[in-house]
Amino acid sequence: MILPAADELLAPVTAIDGFRLGCLIDASTGMVLASKENPGGSPPMSAVAGAGAADIVYVLTLLSGRLATGERLQDVTVTFSDSFFMVRPVGLDEESQILLLIMADRQRTNLAMAHRTIRDFCASLGS
Amino acid sequence: MSRIRRRPRVLAGSVWPGREVDGYANLIAARLRKLAAAGSTGLLPVSGPAEGAIILRGGSVVHAESSRTSPQRTGDPAALGLALRGSVGVVAGLLAATEPTIDAATELLSSKSRYARFRRSDVSLAVQPPSIPVTALLTEVERRHQVLSQLAVIVTADTAVIRTRSLAWPRLQVSAPQWALVVGMADGMTPRGVAMKLGRSVFATTIEVYRLIELGLLAVPGRESPPADGRSTALAFLRAVHNERCTDG
Repeated sequence: MILPAADELLAPVTAIDGFRLGCLIDASTGMVLASKENPGGSPPMSAVAGAGAADIVYVLTLLSGRLATGERLQDVTVTFSDSFFMVRPVGLDEESQILLLIMADRQRTNLAMAHRTIRDFCASLGS
Repeated sequence: MSRIRRRPRVLAGSVWPGREVDGYANLIAARLRKLAAAGSTGLLPVSGPAEGAIILRGGSVVHAESSRTSPQRTGDPAALGLALRGSVGVVAGLLAATEPTIDAATELLSSKSRYARFRRSDVSLAVQPPSIPVTALLTEVERRHQVLSQLAVIVTADTAVIRTRSLAWPRLQVSAPQWALVVGMADGMTPRGVAMKLGRSVFATTIEVYRLIELGLLAVPGRESPPADGRSTALAFLRAVHNERCTDG
């Protein structure tokens, strides 16, 4: 990763049951800043997953830009047959362009608990 | 920092004539890999469309600067103080400290750049920057080149852009950084020009200008319809990663 020094920041979210991958992504450039993968998981996928997360958030930002309802994106959850794909902007600042992406095993993850952990993690980073 | 900015330009004057990169075999990337493997410390001057230098410490890149990108703002609290806080400031601070380096490297590792003799000496920097592994930097630069190649159908860092006079939508919502970009963009300015003016990343600004063109707030004069050659005009970071893997494979 581009910032190995930041990888350890992701340690709290690895406690999510079924955790597979966690990434911090710069939404403005699509660059994966830091990542942590489950050691027993699949081959490295942070570059692809991070790029996909940045693309999803960009499309949603374009949508909110044209709807112009004054709202801001809070989180995105995508459910695949075998996994959850969760994205949340880090911090409360409108100018924050950093995203947290979590991929987790659908069979082993309590989605409500995972959301709580992600929300608390993002809030703690943003405090 | 001003001392650092002057030095590469002087050194770049002594570039070896035979060290041209043809885009097929990227000699600068190969040179950086060798320097990384040797755990080198020093400065690699680069000249070409952009003049500058890449500074290594213990085989990792700690700094890069280019005459065609914004310099690091050494007094910027986001780049300095925030990195010390136990908050999102850690990540934002690291990002603010590394983005100018990656932005400069993206310019320096262009297909027409050349490198000069590596100067083996530790270069003093005004701040202690985070180090970036050479492999990670080269992967990121390649990804950025792929993204810029996608964007080139609509806008490049050097395309003159204007603010649109009438909006196609009754209302639009933009973020504060986007609005600052629209306000700072005088007619005929390029993404590079406004990035240098605002002290932002040229790469990130080019992407943001593309997004503002998509929203209809900015436009490229004389270009009103998508290109007719069938090339996709949509930006997709995912496609840049895919292309990179195909190239490697």
